[in-house]
This record gives sequence, C-alpha cells and structure tokens, in this order.
Amino acid sequence: MDATGVAARAADLWKVYGSGEAQVVALRGVNVELERGHFTAIMGPSGSGKSTLMHCLAGLDSVTRGQVYIGDTQVTGLGDRGLTKLRRDKVGFVFQQFNLLPTLTAAENILLPLSIAGRKPDQQWYDTVIDTVNLRDRLGHRPTQLSGGQQQRVACARALVARPEVVFADEPTGNLDSRSGAEVLSFLARSVREYGQTIVMVTHDPNAASHADRVIFLADGQIVDEMRDPTAEAVLDRLKGLDTPAAAVPPVGSER
Amino acid sequence: MLRASLRGLLSRKLRLTLAVVAIVLGTGFLSGAFVLTDTLGARFSKLFESINQNVAVQITPTDESTEDGEPPRLTQQQVERLRVDGAAAVQGDVSAEGVVPFDMRDGDPVTTSGTPQIGGGVTGDDPFSLVGVAEGRWPTRAGEVAISRFTAEQAHAAVGDRLKIYLPRVNEAREFSLVGVVTYSGDRDSLAGETLVLFQEAEAQQIFYGRTGVYSGAFVAADEGVSPEQLRDRVAPLLPAEFEAMTGEEANEEQANAVNEGLSQLSTYFFGPFAIVAVLVGIFLIFNTFNIVVAQRARELALMRAMGASWTQVAGSVLVEAVLVGVVGATLGLLAGIGLGYAGSALLTGLLGVDLPGAGLTVGVLPVVLAYTVGILVTVFSAFVPAVKASSVPPLAAMREVARPDKPLRTLSIVGAALAVPGVALVGLGLTGVGDLTLPALLLGVGMVFLGVALLSPLLTRPLAGLIGRLVGWGTSGKLGVRNALRNPRRTAVTAAALMIGVTLVSAASVVGASFKTTIDQEVNSSIGADVIVQTNQTQAAPTGETGFSAAAMQEVREVSGVERALSLFVTVDAEIEGRANQSLGFGALDQDFPVVRDMFGMTPVEGDLSALGEGEFVTDENTADGRGWEVGDQVAIALSKGGERQYRLVGTFESTPILTGTVFLPPSAVQNFAGPLASQGYVDLAEGADAAAVTARVEQIMSDFPLVTVGDRSSLVEQFNSFVDIALAIVVVLLGLAILVALLGILNTLLLSIYERTRELGMLRAVGLSRFGVMRMVGTESVVMAVFGCLLGIAVGVGLGAALSAALIDIDFLSTISVPWLSLAGFVLLAALAGVAAALWPAWRAARLNVLDAIAYE
Ligand SMILES: Nc1ncnc2c1ncn2[C@@H]1O[C@H](COP(=O)(O)OP(=O)(O)OP(=O)(O)O)[C@@H](O)[C@H]1O
Ligand SMILES: [Mg+2]
Repeated sequence: MDATGVAARAADLWKVYGSGEAQVVALRGVNVELERGHFTAIMGPSGSGKSTLMHCLAGLDSVTRGQVYIGDTQVTGLGDRGLTKLRRDKVGFVFQQFNLLPTLTAAENILLPLSIAGRKPDQQWYDTVIDTVNLRDRLGHRPTQLSGGQQQRVACARALVARPEVVFADEPTGNLDSRSGAEVLSFLARSVREYGQTIVMVTHDPNAASHADRVIFLADGQIVDEMRDPTAEAVLDRLKGLDTPAAAVPPVGSER
Repeated sequence: MLRASLRGLLSRKLRLTLAVVAIVLGTGFLSGAFVLTDTLGARFSKLFESINQNVAVQITPTDESTEDGEPPRLTQQQVERLRVDGAAAVQGDVSAEGVVPFDMRDGDPVTTSGTPQIGGGVTGDDPFSLVGVAEGRWPTRAGEVAISRFTAEQAHAAVGDRLKIYLPRVNEAREFSLVGVVTYSGDRDSLAGETLVLFQEAEAQQIFYGRTGVYSGAFVAADEGVSPEQLRDRVAPLLPAEFEAMTGEEANEEQANAVNEGLSQLSTYFFGPFAIVAVLVGIFLIFNTFNIVVAQRARELALMRAMGASWTQVAGSVLVEAVLVGVVGATLGLLAGIGLGYAGSALLTGLLGVDLPGAGLTVGVLPVVLAYTVGILVTVFSAFVPAVKASSVPPLAAMREVARPDKPLRTLSIVGAALAVPGVALVGLGLTGVGDLTLPALLLGVGMVFLGVALLSPLLTRPLAGLIGRLVGWGTSGKLGVRNALRNPRRTAVTAAALMIGVTLVSAASVVGASFKTTIDQEVNSSIGADVIVQTNQTQAAPTGETGFSAAAMQEVREVSGVERALSLFVTVDAEIEGRANQSLGFGALDQDFPVVRDMFGMTPVEGDLSALGEGEFVTDENTADGRGWEVGDQVAIALSKGGERQYRLVGTFESTPILTGTVFLPPSAVQNFAGPLASQGYVDLAEGADAAAVTARVEQIMSDFPLVTVGDRSSLVEQFNSFVDIALAIVVVLLGLAILVALLGILNTLLLSIYERTRELGMLRAVGLSRFGVMRMVGTESVVMAVFGCLLGIAVGVGLGAALSAALIDIDFLSTISVPWLSLAGFVLLAALAGVAAALWPAWRAARLNVLDAIAYE
C-alpha cells in the first residue's frame, strides 16, 4: 500500500446551490488532496461547506465546477451506473445516524455492501473487523436492540468490510455521548494505523479531530488552513480564530 | 381545526387520491346502473310512443288463454262495431311473433338477440301502419310477403327472391315471393332490431289464427276534439267480455313498465355485484389510506394535542377529511356513473343491434342521492378506526421520534379465531342441512370465516408471506423487499385483504363452475344413451312448447336408415300445481313408452313402477317427491297451459341426478295441453354399425327448417350446459379484474407509504452501492409478496367456500362431484404476481429516482 499516494482529490471545486437571489455558494474553488492511509478531519463553522465538500468528494452530489478523483477514477462526469459502481468498489460511508437497515441483523448490515455488489467477504478481514469493533456477541441483534454507539460501530464495520479506497464519515460521533464517541473514534483511528485505511471525517469536536493525522479547516466554502498531527487544544484555538460568528455555535447537532 | 384539516388534506392529495378512486369505482358502478336503466327506459318509452303514435285506443284480450287454450279473437263485425262517433279510423290487428325468415345465403334461420320476430297481416291502406313501402309493393295475394329493410339485410334477400319463412302455429317453413321492402318513418330500417314479415291479411289470419276474418285486437284513432279517454269509454261497452280497451298512453306505460322491469334486473345482476365488490374492496383501501395518513401525521397530530386540542378534535379532523374525500369521490363517481350509463346504453344498443330512438341521458334523483350517501358513509365508516387511532397519539410523540411499536397481534388474532372457528362450524352445519336455516347458516358462516381469516391474516403474514418471499425474493434486493413486506404485518395484511375479497369470490365461483362442468360431463356420458341429440336453444324464455321441432319431423328422423329408435321430449314450465304457479319444475312428456325413456336417460327406479306411464299418471325424481311431500299413489292437481286442471297420480320415482332433477314426466297425451305442440329435445339411438356422421347430417337436414334447433352428439349437449357456466364465469372474471384493479391501488398506496417512510434507508442503500434497478427490484418484490399473499389467502378461503357450496349442491343432487380447477387457480396466482409487478412500477420508479443526498439529509 502506497502511503504517500492520493486516495481522493478535488481540483478547483465549486458548488453553487440555487440561483438568483437564493443563490448560495457552498464551495468556492476548493483544492485538496487526501493522502492514502491517512485519517483526515474536516472542520469549520456550521454552514462552511464541510458536508458539501464531503458529498462532492464521495460522488453523492454533483459539482458546479472542477474535478473530483477517487484513486484514478474521475468522479465528476460519472453517470448513475458509474456512481453506483464507484460506491460499491471504492467508497464507504458512515453517517451521523440512521446508518442501518432495521430489518437486518448487525452481521447482515455489515455484509450488506458486499452482498449488494455480489461479492464474497474475505473471511479473515471480516473477522478482523468484527474483533476490532468488538461486536462479535452482538452480530445476531437487530439495530433496535443496539445502543447508539454500537450502531455506529456496526456502521463503521460496514464501511470497512468492503475495503474501500476511502471511507467518508460525516459527524459519525455527533449523536453519541463522549464515551461511545471515543470508542468509535479509536476504532476509526486503529483501522488507519493498523490496516492502512483512508478515512475522511467531518466533525465539530476538537477531541474527535485530535484522533486524525491532519485537520483541514473550512470557512465560507474555502480551505483556510490545515494542521498536521493536531491536538484538541490546538484545534480549539484555531477554530476560535476562524473569522466567522457561527464559530460560537455549540459544536454538536447543527445538521438540520 | 377545520382549516388545519383542510390544509392537511391538500398536502396529502396524492395519497387521498387513491381513496377517492376507490369511492369513484364503487359509486360509479352504483349510479351507472341507475343511469343506464333510466336512460334505456326513457329510450324504450320513446320507442313505444312512436309505435303507438296515432293510436288513441287499443283493444287487447284481457287474459291470453281461454279454456281451450286458444286466445280469444275479434270477428270482422266486432271490429266494425268500433266505428263509433269520434272514431277517425279502426283497424283490426293481425300479428304474431316467432315468424322467422331464413337467410338466402346460408339457409340458416335469421335470429335476433332477444328482440321479437314479428309477422303481420296488411291490407295496404292501414291508417296505423308504421311502415311504408320503400321498394316493390305491398303483398296482395297469398304467397306474397313484404319485409322490413333490416330483415332484408339480415336475410340477404331482395325483391323478387323466393324467401323461406318459418311460420308459428303451423310449425313449418314455407316459401314466399318477396314483393316489397318496407321502412319505418324517417327511413329507419327497424325500430329496435326486430325482424318484420308482412303477409296479405287473409293469409296472415289463416296462418296465425287458423281461420280468416278474425283479429287478435284492434286500434282506434280519434277524431279531432275527442280525447282518448272519451273514445275509450265509448268503445269499451261494445267489446266482448274477453277484451278490454285502454288508451294509447296506458298501453305505452304498460309496455314500458315491462321493459323497465327487465332492465332493472339487468343492472341489479350485472352492475350490482360490481358495485358491491368495489365498495367492499374500497373499504379496505380507504381504511389503509387513512391509517397511513394518520401515521404520517402522527407528529402533527401530537403537536396539536400538545397545544391543547382535545382527542375529539383530533379524531374529528380526520373524519372531516374522510367526509371531504367521500364528497369528492362521490361527485366524481356520479360523473363516472353518468358516463358509464351513457356508454353502457350505447354499447348495449349497439351490441343487441337495437336501434332505439333518442340518445340523451336520463339522470334521476336516486343515483345522485345514492352516490353521495354510499360515498360518504363508506369513507367515514372506513376512516373511523384510523380516526380513533389518531386521537390516541400521545402529545409526547411531537417531541421525539417515537417509533410506536406495532401493537401485539394477540387481540386481533383471538377475535379472528373467535370468528373463523364458529364460522367453519356454521358452514359445516349448513352443509349437513338444517332445513330453512341452511342458507342463512351458510351465508353467516362464510361471512364469519372471511372476516376471521382477514383478521388472522396479520398473524399469517410472517409464515405465509415469508414462504412466498423465499420463492420470489432472489438476490439481495429481492431479499430486502421480502423483509420489507414482513416488516409491518398489519399493513401487509390489510393490503392483501383487499385482494383477498375478489380472489375469494372468483375462486369459489370457479370451484362451483368446475364442479358443475365435471358433473355434467360425467352425467351426460354415463346416463344418456343417445348418440345424436337434437336441442332447442332457449335463448329467450323458458320452454312452453312453442319453440322446437314438430312431431312430424321426428317421425321423419325415425325413418332414416341407421336410426334404431328416436325419442322426442316435450317440455313446458308453464303450469300450476295445486293452484299455485310453477316456480321450479320442468314438465316433460315423451312420445315413446316409458321403458324406452327410462333406458335412454339411465333412470334408476326408487319406488313404485316405472314400467309404464298411463293416462292421468306421472313420475318424478326422488328429491322432487320428497321436497313436495308426494308419496307414490298421491293425486296431484296440475293445470297446464291449456285444458284446465287435471288430477295426476304419482306412480313411481327415480333417483335424482344433476340432469334429472326437478322434473315431472307426464304421459304423451299431456302435450295437447302444452302451449305449443313442439318438442324441445330429441334423442336418437343408432343401430349397430350405422354411419353416425351420415345419420347426423340427415337429421340436421330434417331439422334445418326449425329455428333455434341444433343437432349434435353428446358432447354438444355438454357444451350447451357448459356455455351457461362459461357466461357466469366470464362475468366473475370481469369482477376479478375489477377487484384486482382496486386492490392494485391499495398495494400502490402501501408501497408509496413505505417508500416515504424509508426514504433514509433507501438513500443509505443507494450510498452503499444498490443500483437503481436494485431499488426497483426491491420495491417490486415487496409488492409481489403482498399480492401473492392476498391471492393465496383468497384462494384458500374461496376454494373452501366453493367446495362447501358444491357439497351443498351435491346434497340436493344438483352436482355429483367437487372439482377444483387447479390450473385456473394457478393462473390467478400468476395474475396476482403480475398485478403486483404492475402496482410496483410507479412506486419503484419513484424510489429509484430518490436523490441519495435528499434521502440522507431527510428531516
Ligand atoms: N440542498 C441545498 N440547497 C441550498 N443550499 C444548501 C443545500 N445544502 C447546503 N446548502 C448550503 O450550503 C452551505 C454549506 O452547507 P453544508 O451542509 O455543507 O455546511 P456544513 O459545514 O456541513 O454545516 P454543519 O456544520 O451545520 O453541518 C450552507 O450555507 C447551506 O445553507
Ligand atoms: Mg454538515
């Protein structure tokens, strides 16, 4: 695995919502490279375009201008079929909540992307993932029988089990208490350190960001700064300095 | 509160549209039936008005038959006497029905679809004549006829042709020279698709009445200034006792009433079932729709509660929606009904070849009132439970995402079992026969079983639908679809129940129909010993001896070489038993000794003596004897069409079979007392080694002069019986189509809701790589599982019901076997599966098009 390669890349990325009076420019010329095997956190005030950037990178949303690559695949310009294939083979997702299908057991949920793609799981990797998230005794349970933290761990396991090029996580700990959040974060960090997974995570929480190798700061649709090997204090300081009143907004739950 | 519910209504337009459609279908058929009846009725009235245009007073016999069976006649002098002061013109009536011309091209009799085949006598200067010569001239001597243009077209005849015509009363076909073609005023070919043959008056009298100079009635026209009533009162005292006078208007009304009675029967039996099925299925659909609406609005309703709305206000707001849906549905249904009535009247007149005057619409008050009453009542009734449910939404539901768990199915299942089990017992009781209570017991039992199974169906969802799912849920998306179908057993069950209704009806009908067909096939082949069978197609009325073939024709058949023996069966239903009009029995008389008859029909004697049937004696089947309480040796007073009441003695009984049931056999001489002398069935036995095809062809030739008479072998007899079953089944299948249509809407509805509720899941599935097609397959599988589930439930209940009914019919020897048409039933399942796919198309498309991001960011 080439640790210095680029897993995902955006070049001069613009995203404009609406038109005329109601026009919102969510991203204005973002250039970013996300290294393979790294854990990258995206931070910034609410409304700064973090989710938008991530959605564009993951091919969930169309871009107004610019290019997005995942590995060597150009995401921008792919049709629905190409995007579906991309999602099956190259990307994994962890959302803030509602990650799991209530009709499936934890194990079935974890294996869902593989079974959708019609692929056989790599048993050894599967076992590794299960043990890493520490869910072996919960595999037969349905999501309603799991705690929020356990549910998010199942979601993480699901994102990892297909060994995607990149895992995108949008505030994966946003709905969790600090202990469960820490569990999930340490698991994500382990999968990067030990297994070379590439992870991009949006978060409002400086503690969460401190698990990452690199933090990218976004404000008003532009990358304003970045930080390598961050600590919670340094991130907090940097955030305070960001020239946006929205920075005062409490860190959790600002998604609509 | 009202404004809130109105606004809510608009925002849920789509979902409620489906409830509206259910109401539209139900009320549409209901009001359509009335509009059709009224419209056709009005058009027929107009027809009679135009026929009786110039008739001020009409003279008709009071009672059709006299002691000797001949209708009374007016003599020439009696008609002349009607020329009273104020009578502008008087004309005796010479006419008959059953005058059938033969097609010049293929030699087959020209038949109509129910409209009369009229013959009449003309003098050429008839002031009441409705027709005028369009081509050629009036018939002026014996052997000449004129026909209406419609008749000429049907018979492919032209002036100058020699036209063969079957004549009633003399019961034979003769050839006439066609000297004229006539049309009605306005150049109409026919009034209502009837055929018309006009003879010279004296010849018509000779043919129709057996002598010249007599009339069956008369018409009188009034002078200017004399009212029809005045004229009637002047004419009435001059009439013989057997005749009465009425004004033209009264005559119109009488005729129109008779037609209207027939029409309303048509709509009762044809549209009635459709309306009932549509309403029944609609109840499920509306119930489901409102449940869904309430589920969707749970938050909003909870907010209202939190803000202090009382539960009655909340329930009320749902019921207001229901009333609005009912009103909108009924209005559209009424419009649809009017359209249906209009199309129906056009279609029926077109189909029957009836050319009725006027083409307007008649919409009475009744269909309007009915549409709104039914529409609103049904909607409010169906929305009641959802409304109560809405009112029980806790205010807390507004604050958080309450996944209100499904209530346990226990209560529902207990109630279901409490209905189904005694229901089955009742059906069983009904089958063993409990006298007069048999039918109520059966009906109540069946109703209870049906409801019980409907209530139990949520319990059956997991095992049964799960099994179906295993068969249809291929691949990951298929499996996900199956899981979704099992997710909410109640919702799946209610959706499926809508389909179950229709399928139950159709399966039950199919089982009874198949049993009937199998029975007939077996019985005819095992008991009837004839090789060639002559039959009369009783298209119009029950047999009375006026249609069929003559004894002379059968005599001719006997002389054909290769015929061993031949038997004519004369049948009438026109009789009074012990002074009461016959309802259900068929009276047969045969032209052979009874032992021959016994062998030919494979009768098994039960009691008494079947070796001979003498004067004043009769035999009947066991069930009829038992049912009427007749013992061998009893005297029974029977009055046939002619000759008054006579005592007949029961000399023997034979075993009832499905084709020998409800029959009374009288001695050959009784035929004299039938309304007509024609036999309706003939059974011909061939000699050893005879050429069946040649004999059949010869018999066909002999019988070719008699309209409605056909010749065939045993299988053609079976076919004739089966054709009735097929017609009944065809109607049932159309019913199925309707029920499936409505049920489809229900499935559509449920799917749309599911998609709405699972938007996030769908987005997530797309995000982890499910393709659009995969999403569509998932939704489609869910739909197919629900559809097949409903279909299977329906088949289970329907087959049970059909078998029960068949068993009851076997009990009265109407059937001898139960036969289950597995192939058709399998066809139903396939149809249901296809319907499931069809219902899923739109929801699946919507689901597949969901924007992944919207789905994730939802709420
Ligand atoms: N579908 C949309 N239509 C119009 N504007 C949108 C849409 N989605 C996002 N925006 C706008 O784009 C900008 C960036 O939104 P985005 O969701 O990326 O912010 P964010 O940084 O993720 O904020 P948060 O921390 O609150 O999640 C915001 O101003 C937002 O209002
Ligand atoms: Mg965001």
